[in-house]
Amino acid sequence: MEYSGARMTSHREDLRDIPLRGQIDLPFLMLVLLLLTIGVVMIFSASFARAYYDPTDETGGNAAYYFIRQLIFAGIGIGAMFVCAGLPVAFYRRMSRLLLIVSLALLVAVPIIGVRVGGARRWISLGFTTFQPSEITKIAVILYFATLICKFKDKMRTVRYGIVPFAAILGVIAVLLVLEPHLSATIIIFAIGAAMMFLGGVEKKWFIGGAVAMAIFVFIFVNFFPYASSRISTWLDPLNPEERSGDAYQIYQSLISVGSGGLSGLGLGQSRQKYLYLPEEHNDFIFAVVCEELGFIGAMLILCLFALLVIRGYWLALHCRDRYSFLVCAGITTMIALQVFLNVAVCTNLIPCTGISLPFFSYGGTALLIQLAEMGIVLSISRDIPARKE
Amino acid sequence: MATSKQPHKGPSTPNRMMLSRTLFLMIVCGVVAFIALGINLFYLQIVRHDEFETMAIEQQVRDTTVNAARGTIYDRNGKILAMSASVETVYISPWEIIQNDEDPELIATGLSEILGVDKDKILAMAAKTESWYQPVAYKVEADLAEQVREFKAENDLIGVKLQADTKRYYPYSSLASHVIGYVGFENTGLSGVELAYDSVLSGVNGRIIRATNAQGTDLLYTNFEDYYDAEDGSDVTLTIDANVQYYLEKHLQQAVSDYGVQNGAAGIVMDVNTGEILAMASLGNFDLNDYDAVSEEVQAQIDAAETEEEKAQILSDAQFLQWRNKALEDTYEPGSTFKIITLSMALDLGVTSLESSYYCGGSIQVTGDTTARNCWKTYGHGSQTLTQAVQHSCNVAFINLGLAVGAENFYKYAEAFGFFQDNEDSSAPLSGNTGIELQGEASSIWWSRDVFENPQNLSQLAAASFGQTFTITPLQLITAVSACVNGGKLMEPYVVKEVADANGDVISAASPTVKRQVISEETSDIVCQILEQVVSDSVEGTGKNAYVAGYHVGGKTGTSEKVAQEVAGGPKEYIVSFIGIAPMTDPQYAVLVLLDNPSSDSGTYVSGGNMAAPTVGNIFADILPALGVEAEYTAEEEQHTDKSVPNLSGLTVEEAAARLQEAGLSYRTIGTGSTITDQLPRAGAVIAANSEVILYLDAEPDPSLEEVPNLTGLSYSIARQRLAYQGLFISAARGIASDSNTVVVTTQSIEAGTQVEHGTVIEVALVDNDASMYGRY
Repeated sequence: MEYSGARMTSHREDLRDIPLRGQIDLPFLMLVLLLLTIGVVMIFSASFARAYYDPTDETGGNAAYYFIRQLIFAGIGIGAMFVCAGLPVAFYRRMSRLLLIVSLALLVAVPIIGVRVGGARRWISLGFTTFQPSEITKIAVILYFATLICKFKDKMRTVRYGIVPFAAILGVIAVLLVLEPHLSATIIIFAIGAAMMFLGGVEKKWFIGGAVAMAIFVFIFVNFFPYASSRISTWLDPLNPEERSGDAYQIYQSLISVGSGGLSGLGLGQSRQKYLYLPEEHNDFIFAVVCEELGFIGAMLILCLFALLVIRGYWLALHCRDRYSFLVCAGITTMIALQVFLNVAVCTNLIPCTGISLPFFSYGGTALLIQLAEMGIVLSISRDIPARKE
Repeated sequence: MATSKQPHKGPSTPNRMMLSRTLFLMIVCGVVAFIALGINLFYLQIVRHDEFETMAIEQQVRDTTVNAARGTIYDRNGKILAMSASVETVYISPWEIIQNDEDPELIATGLSEILGVDKDKILAMAAKTESWYQPVAYKVEADLAEQVREFKAENDLIGVKLQADTKRYYPYSSLASHVIGYVGFENTGLSGVELAYDSVLSGVNGRIIRATNAQGTDLLYTNFEDYYDAEDGSDVTLTIDANVQYYLEKHLQQAVSDYGVQNGAAGIVMDVNTGEILAMASLGNFDLNDYDAVSEEVQAQIDAAETEEEKAQILSDAQFLQWRNKALEDTYEPGSTFKIITLSMALDLGVTSLESSYYCGGSIQVTGDTTARNCWKTYGHGSQTLTQAVQHSCNVAFINLGLAVGAENFYKYAEAFGFFQDNEDSSAPLSGNTGIELQGEASSIWWSRDVFENPQNLSQLAAASFGQTFTITPLQLITAVSACVNGGKLMEPYVVKEVADANGDVISAASPTVKRQVISEETSDIVCQILEQVVSDSVEGTGKNAYVAGYHVGGKTGTSEKVAQEVAGGPKEYIVSFIGIAPMTDPQYAVLVLLDNPSSDSGTYVSGGNMAAPTVGNIFADILPALGVEAEYTAEEEQHTDKSVPNLSGLTVEEAAARLQEAGLSYRTIGTGSTITDQLPRAGAVIAANSEVILYLDAEPDPSLEEVPNLTGLSYSIARQRLAYQGLFISAARGIASDSNTVVVTTQSIEAGTQVEHGTVIEVALVDNDASMYGRY
């Protein structure tokens, strides 16, 4: 109790607490490193055919191109994770508003200076790499919403404090993302925001109301926007021979990858679908390659690791002594869980197709870097949890 | 900062509500969601695994066929009759064109230029972007395929592809077309040996099964490949001799045009001792390299036809006729050629002998006949020896021979000769064939035993004695006649001599198969003796037109009315035929010729003796030397044989006279010098014996031209003199038996009215057109 007493003295003195903080949570760290290792190995396996056969200016036909870049970012990311684990939670709390403002500024900048890929402008180029500002927005929303919740406390039950500020921020973000357009990021940020409000104590009726509103919105969207309705029809009938080479191509190829893997898979490196049949095989559909190569057993093992990571994240949140830490830890965990679920669900056609990456697996240097930094924040929080008394 | 406003209140801890809501999220996001994913994975990867694996294999695995090379067909001397050459199929893969961002317009333009395929057609193929295989051109020859390959390389095109294939070539076009047969588009045999030996010739196609990437090339680091070797087809060597086949077809063709033959002709040359078929022809024939094409006349008819249906009907009728092997697929009443069989039976049974004599009063009536049967010579042949009866082809004498043999014995021998297979049911018609390896062989039709062997009615036996009331195939007849002359052994006819695998190792070699001894060797010798007389007797022999100087040719004529045609109410039609055997001193080869429905206005009397016999004679004259049978001329023949002109230039008249006498020629001189400066005809020319060679003594031949006269109907010596008057010379297509006045020119090599130089040699065909021999025998 002396320890917590010291923390009570002054907010400023928190920085001096650093030497007094406990150890990072080893199980969580191990799970992250394990998943990261498997992910990087899978990047190599999944990407080399594309890198070799589809020599764009980017890869130059170097089969290991994607792998090496991912490996470098994983290294930098681990460094970033430990740096983040070293920073005190209060630092994040203090920086939260600034981070949100910066991320909103970047979102505003994206439609202006962003790099266009396909039909959307979602990336900002840093010269040596590109990154999606929406990745930063996600963590900024978690950090700032937690700050607001801690500030409003019991007033979270009211509309004025519990709904309006949050809804306003989400609304601004939604508008900016729709401009890109970036539907999947919008969905995730809305879900994260909702989860934060849920944890913050907003009354349940709002969530029921929100769910009803969402259902109506989806119904209208699907019925009156041909783009969306075609997604729904390919989702319902992905094996339709007429659509196989058209709209349903991605999901058709993904299902072949997943299904042909069988119980034990074709073996690591032995995927055939990655030979240019399966699109986005090292990005959004990397899990399909995992299923094909490692089979049901391998895929379930990886899902179990993710589940353990998620459960451990919530477990850490539950043991937080500090409400802000609790909210951030639960928020980040929820975000990871959401991304894993949505990505795997898309690969296996459980939900209609949308572009969501798989944490630690999907190719993307800055995204990986940011994910590892977020893990660093969780680890930082874990240090404040007192060790169980033996 | 929010917290700095209340510095002493300290950080708030999560409340109970927050913890319970976290637990809720933990269960939903950490457990329920993953269970849902797991169940779905189980469903896809375990439950529906087979379905997806099939789809995966379907798109990842390419099964490529490696065509086995089809075997070559050789004639008995190793000449190539049918061979396969490498060609290529050019196709595009629209899927890969799209995948690799290639320009369909460029591809269509390039391929259209090289292959001559319509550009829009290629563009339409390229638009089928689902497809991996759209064939642009089949069976593209090597040089064009090379151009396509260059075009592909220049433009770095993945979507343009070539695939190996083979094409069948028949170097002799229409030669032996019915025996060799042809192959269809997929290189499978559709007729003849190509069909009968299809499995032997075709070999076994190989397969390459391999996984490829979406661009169709191999996978990196993954060796998923199964290779099944192609097994090349075996080579087949036929018993056919291309030279013999050529002569058979040439003379059949000549007969068809000379005699206005309406329904085609058939011919078979058989080795009588082995049953090997040296040649088999059926006219009109067709070009194996383009078997659908019909003759120009038929094509003209098709072009003239008005409706599409008519055109199609004419085409299919003509194709049906030209593809039909009359020697094998048609049956006919053989008529008098069958008398060889009746003669053999009677001799073998001992019911007749060379000493027997037969009286022909012009007709005969047997038990069961309602009217008398006339001999072809209505006032009768009078008293004749057995040999004369055969020479005369006397129906009355042969009815007597048949009656002496008896119906039961007749059928016993007919069966032994292979004309039908016995049937336990005596009331059923009898039928059979030789069982040769070619497809489509027709079967004979004979009366049932009950009808034929009815003692109250001998009319069927009487008719059968001279070759009527039953139908057989030409192949059956020549096989049976071969047995009559080869010492009595019925041989199994065959066309395939040997099968050797792609390495040249013999897999199977046919050997002559004796089915049975039908008649005794002694009987056979007598038959040979009599048959030679039919041809060699220039006075009484009905087969004398088959005579070939220098050779012992025997044979028998045949003229049969097409009964079915008459019953159907059509005009009278005849099949004239002749079966010849040579050399009679040691029979080796039999030649059967059938001319179906010759014209009655050709100028030649319609009969086997006048039409088919000379054709067989012409065939023997060409094939016997080609088969290595040496000619041996008698002193009389020597006189009549055409002579070769020696080189006389520079000699004195006396020296030249001696040389010419030695050569069997005479001479006259022009000019007054002492040495010969020129001669007509030139040295080496072959001209009729006793022709006058013109010797120029310090003089030159008259450069003016002469008009060739019409020689038809003239005897050889008259024609010779007629030409000598104009400074022209004559030669005969083959030697003649005598210079009897009845032997006349039927055709000449240079048409009457043509302007030719002095010294030109005109070749003529001679036929004994003895009016006393006119008759259907």
